[in-house]
Amino acid sequence: MMTPGLLLSLALGVGAPAAGTYYADVVYTGDGQTLERCAVTVADGKITALTPGVSPKDDAVRVKAITPGMIDLSARVANSPYSVEETYEVTPDFRVANTLDLFDVTWERHLQSGVTTVMASPYDDNCIGGLSVVLKTGGAKDVEKRTVRADAALRGAFGSQPSSRNHPAYGAPDDIFSRRPTTRMGVEWEWRKSFFDALYAQGELDAGTKVLRRALTGELPVFAQAWATQDVRTAVFLVEEMKAEGDAKMRLIVDCGAEAWREPELLVRSGAAVVLAPYDHDGRTTDGAFYALESAKTLTDLGVTVALSSHYAAGPGSVLGAQAGYAMRGGLTFDQALAAVTINPARLAGVDDRVGSLAVGKDADLALWNGTPFELSSRVVGVVLDGDLVVAPE
Amino acid sequence: MKNQVLSALSTTLAALAIALPAAAQNGDGNLVIKAGKVITNAGETLENGTIVIQNGRITAVGKDIEYPWNAQVREFPDAVAFPGFVEAHTTRGMDRANENIDVAAFLNVRDSIDPVNFYYEDALRAGITTINVQQGADCVVGGMGYVVKPVGMTVEQMTVRPNSGLAMSASPKRGKSRATQAQALRRAFDDLHRYLDETVQEKKEGKDYATREAMFQGREPDEETAKGRPMTGSAWKVEGLELVPRWELDEKQAPLLSVVEGKTRVFLFCGSPMEVMTALSIASENGFLHRTVLVLDNSCWKAADAIAERGVPVVLDPNLMYVERDPLTGEEQRTFVPKVFQDKGIEFALRSAGNSGQSLWYQAAICMANGLTREQAIAATTTVPAKLLGLGDRVGSLEKGKDGNVVLFSGDPLSVRSFVQNVVIEGNLVYDRATDTRAMHLDSGAQPDNTAPYDPNGDWKPHCCDDPTHEHVVKTDEGEDPQEVEEAPAKKHNHPVDGDKDGDKDKDADKQGEDK
Repeated sequence: MMTPGLLLSLALGVGAPAAGTYYADVVYTGDGQTLERCAVTVADGKITALTPGVSPKDDAVRVKAITPGMIDLSARVANSPYSVEETYEVTPDFRVANTLDLFDVTWERHLQSGVTTVMASPYDDNCIGGLSVVLKTGGAKDVEKRTVRADAALRGAFGSQPSSRNHPAYGAPDDIFSRRPTTRMGVEWEWRKSFFDALYAQGELDAGTKVLRRALTGELPVFAQAWATQDVRTAVFLVEEMKAEGDAKMRLIVDCGAEAWREPELLVRSGAAVVLAPYDHDGRTTDGAFYALESAKTLTDLGVTVALSSHYAAGPGSVLGAQAGYAMRGGLTFDQALAAVTINPARLAGVDDRVGSLAVGKDADLALWNGTPFELSSRVVGVVLDGDLVVAPE
Repeated sequence: MKNQVLSALSTTLAALAIALPAAAQNGDGNLVIKAGKVITNAGETLENGTIVIQNGRITAVGKDIEYPWNAQVREFPDAVAFPGFVEAHTTRGMDRANENIDVAAFLNVRDSIDPVNFYYEDALRAGITTINVQQGADCVVGGMGYVVKPVGMTVEQMTVRPNSGLAMSASPKRGKSRATQAQALRRAFDDLHRYLDETVQEKKEGKDYATREAMFQGREPDEETAKGRPMTGSAWKVEGLELVPRWELDEKQAPLLSVVEGKTRVFLFCGSPMEVMTALSIASENGFLHRTVLVLDNSCWKAADAIAERGVPVVLDPNLMYVERDPLTGEEQRTFVPKVFQDKGIEFALRSAGNSGQSLWYQAAICMANGLTREQAIAATTTVPAKLLGLGDRVGSLEKGKDGNVVLFSGDPLSVRSFVQNVVIEGNLVYDRATDTRAMHLDSGAQPDNTAPYDPNGDWKPHCCDDPTHEHVVKTDEGEDPQEVEEAPAKKHNHPVDGDKDGDKDKDADKQGEDK
């Protein structure tokens, strides 16, 4: 029964930015340091000091461990098929920031699980859905105030989802889904056509083309959902093709990436990063993709940047912290697992100057643990967001 | 009397016949295990402990203890020895779990348990050594369950305790309302009552089958075999049941009679808190409250006070977090269910979810994260379920006299980083992770032997023969020349066109990559 505590702390938190001290037996900074018996001091929403080797002061909030607030690049927050434009397959200039429902309960679920920053992306019913936004999971009910980075990535999807509801029109089109693409290859064709058109567009550019051009120059990473190997291949080959065609510097982040482990050399070659899907115990995921337990280790060992995701934070064992635990079960070291839920996603989203590790001057986003982080036998009991204690330890 | 001796003899012979192949298969039940750490779950944890198992039972646990000079010793210096987890209630490991009959007390999971079901392999992988298999909750009275161990080629070899309890449900069976369900459950006992009354009355009037058969055959009814025994039980009784020998009773009614007499455990499912009240009242009306284990949906924590008052133990839903939304504010209210039962002093066992990952180690770990002590969390997956199944003296801890079930973990049993390395059941080593191809596949995607490997480069070859010198010709749509095929050497194999769909696609895809 965490909600009363949360409500109370939210009520207290609104208003003046709080100053405070949070003390833990161990503080993991997220950039490789492990500080024992450490006090984290925050003021005006920023970290002002990390002091290891001290005794706790009376007014400090005491917990077993502190990590940076976690970051989920593939969080499913309050966007649904209803917030995707269904009359076009390619909508690069659409912004998910305009369809976010901050009053939805999903934000609170992520926040309570210790996730303080998420990337919100358009729902994957379009091939190229639009622009993702990186924002905090709590604070004011105001997208602008919560935003850490607007237009953080260009989001799209390969595989079966963009075509899943479409069907060919027989006779007169009878609904909005009488449209292409209806196959995997149709989806790929939409992607390629869009980028080629953008590459060779002349004269006055429309808004969508401008966004695609920003993706082609590498200013915006392409954040593409691809579960199965064939879709990972499609994404990598498309990006490589565009690089060769237009001398572009496209950056690819494969989302979900359940089968990225099958051909990690592809990702190494293309410099793509991977956000991994939540671990399913039997390895069965979307699009028939098999997700091996050691995926994160296989990719990390080859130098691929890996971030983890929980998607929904649906239950105690499927939150982002538990995903880091499963990655450790698959062979990652603690530091690698920590990086995969903090600094790696921060770098991929271009927000590592503000979040993703604990350092003086960075945002005061902390996850407070009642035991060893990422073990299923412990959990996040408190959360500090922008210096406010928004979830208080009981 | 002679019959009884004969039947006892044949039972013994049958038991021998069953036991011999099992022993031959897995070892002889004698094993000494030395582990880097032994968690006895009986109050102590030993560094470098030794467990001596003889004839399938633990004869000693301790440090530096003596064991027979000729004993087989297995050393696991890096492992943590732990008593196996106990699954209090599952409907997996069997064929379809729900019969399409309301009151089916006569059914038995013995006839449905599938020894080679994938579930048992998974149970070993998760360190579960004792499992109560029960019918599903889509019933009024579902039938009799079995407690088994996840090893053996027949149900008899697997059996730990036959007829562990009768499955019942207070939750609406498909097509029923909640009221109909409650009435059907009550009527099952009313029907039993009426049947017993009628049977006794017939006996008194000499209209019963045995008497009429004797009359028909022109002899006196056999006094010796016509002995019954009076009905016992705390709720209601049928006077004169001693007139009717038990073997004359309808087999369909016998399990329910045994329940009313308080001799059979009942696993009573409740899908909502209101059904808990129905379940408890029917149990006390019919005298089996003290033998009842409630199997609960996670909303049933709301009825915890009523359960606590009656001292009934429960098996909890695998989904341990109850989430409810306030209809006015839209806020989520979360309740961690095991904590409620712990705080009210109710005995509770955890159970695995339907998938293999959220197994008992997982459930216990989640309990620890949410406010239970380590001891409470482990008890709810070992000693408490053992007690609920009436096996408190046999499984759940590593102690002298208990079954020789030991699970060797690579680390702490509740850690997300630990794996089950080995499992010993009744003194026989039955699981070794090093040879578990399924585990290898789940971990790294490694392909088990004799299955087609995944080959993304489309190097497709038809699997028609094992001879690598054979040259394979694959027909395709384009450029197909029947002449050419005919002129091919006799050793060449021809293959149908539709076989190479994947190969072609992957080759094309590959070309895209190589163009760079």
